[in-house]
Amino acid sequence: MSPLRERAAVSYVLAAPGGLWMLVALVAPTLFIAWVSFWASRTFALSNALTLANYVKFFTRPAYVRVLGDTVEQAIVMMLITGVIGYAIAYFLVVHVRRPAFQLALFLLLVVPFWTSALIRTIAWIPFLGVNGVINQALLLLGIVDRPVEAFLFTRTGITLAQTSFYTLLATGPVVYTLRNIPRSLPEAAQCLHATPLRVFWRIVFPLTLPGVVIGQILVFLNVMADFATAQAIGGHKLAFLGNLVILLYESGQLTFAAVVGVLLMIAMLLGVAVLLKVVDIRRLGAP
Amino acid sequence: MIPWRVRQRLVAATLGTVVGLFLLYQWLPLLIMAVLSFTGPEGGTTFPMRGVSLHWYGELFRVQMIDDFKPPMARSVALALACSITTATLSVAAAQAMRARFRGSGVYFYLILLGVMAPGLLVGFGVALLARMFGLGLAWYSSTFAVHIVWTLPFGFLTMLAVFNRFDRRLEEAALTLRATRWTTFWRITFPLVLPGVIGAGLFGFTLSYDEFARSLFATGPEQTLPLVIYAQFDRQLQPTLYAIGTMTTIVSLGAVTVFALLFRLVKRRNRI
Repeated sequence: MSPLRERAAVSYVLAAPGGLWMLVALVAPTLFIAWVSFWASRTFALSNALTLANYVKFFTRPAYVRVLGDTVEQAIVMMLITGVIGYAIAYFLVVHVRRPAFQLALFLLLVVPFWTSALIRTIAWIPFLGVNGVINQALLLLGIVDRPVEAFLFTRTGITLAQTSFYTLLATGPVVYTLRNIPRSLPEAAQCLHATPLRVFWRIVFPLTLPGVVIGQILVFLNVMADFATAQAIGGHKLAFLGNLVILLYESGQLTFAAVVGVLLMIAMLLGVAVLLKVVDIRRLGAP
Repeated sequence: MIPWRVRQRLVAATLGTVVGLFLLYQWLPLLIMAVLSFTGPEGGTTFPMRGVSLHWYGELFRVQMIDDFKPPMARSVALALACSITTATLSVAAAQAMRARFRGSGVYFYLILLGVMAPGLLVGFGVALLARMFGLGLAWYSSTFAVHIVWTLPFGFLTMLAVFNRFDRRLEEAALTLRATRWTTFWRITFPLVLPGVIGAGLFGFTLSYDEFARSLFATGPEQTLPLVIYAQFDRQLQPTLYAIGTMTTIVSLGAVTVFALLFRLVKRRNRI
């Protein structure tokens, strides 16, 4: 064997700490949730008999099924919104901003709020959305409405407004990356052959950025599916997603049923990612 | 037919407007929160402001009014530092291992990435259930630390993979043919060249842990971290103190990013020489 080749034995030693950490703190707890979700008794004991009754209970209650539907629907809505806005931002940054200084300034302006705490940004939305909130005051001032609108706080619209500001950049980042990697000569070649700009975009540029788009969509999907804090703060107790349901059940001591909801949430997330991953192989990202 | 140049301008103007509006959308809530945190003692959580004062910041330091936020903040910073160092170390090791494409490296890749995909709330939930089964206590420095690394490691790992993907192997090979040991080659050649990436991994470790609450929610014992204290306020009557905490912790976050950015530049500059 060539001395320049990395040796497998060393690799295993190097890979072990991270891998073990994931097994102990992630895989084991997740599998345990799945096991608990089948427990027939509400007492906490490993000797519990296993049953499917908990799942039957979930799917026979319309209120719970509606929460599942709402969660998936919210994720799809957010993917569409952030996909379009996120792509527009990425395209502008890479294609239309030429001066490096301007590019850096824009980048910082976008990224700095993104690095601040999600909780704080959620709180920051509250004075905006209320009946006396900034949006309503602005609408009144501009004469668009004559009475405050109650459509923002404690509604899905309010949650969508806030989530758009939290998650759009997740869809932008990977697209910026893939757009940057397109050699200029490719769209230029198409233009020389008299392709219209729109055609150049749809036939050349967009397919090449598709891996970035898909990765962005995966990130948005996972985040919205798992989001409970936005619904908690802006939806009040009127609106719930699957995450809120887990908390609610956990706090009322129904651990097995909380586990059922958790398992269903994970299955929904895995299915979504599996579908999206059919489109690209993320391991190729970053290769020259 | 609109001339090509004009059309290009039109597209740029439209997209520019979208970006401008989005920036406003990002910044306005944060700025308004900061402004409202300086409202007078009579002020509420929305406009109009009633005077300008530091009243609500003062309130933060008066322990009885609100759960004392200083110990949670200290815990959060300590935890974030520990996560930063651990993430950087583990992700360099894991990414270096991946370079050899060992048997099972495909599965290993997804095992690490699972940390981003798994919903944080449920990771914490699972750890809480496991701890209950084994009769173990939960604490921010043990169980919370463990679940935070699950979250931060994939980001550091991906950063390091991207860095190693672009790494010029010939530099290592040159050292090895000159009979440097693998150990020496790593520390003298590889590590200094990938150091900016390592700093990036550390930054991920710090900021992601500092802001994390979904994973902490079930996995933290009675001694809570700052995001949990803030989260607990959601259910109470909203007060401008929350805006004051928000403004202060944002400044800490931004301070951390600035420190890492300076480190990054320092290393880049040194590498160029």
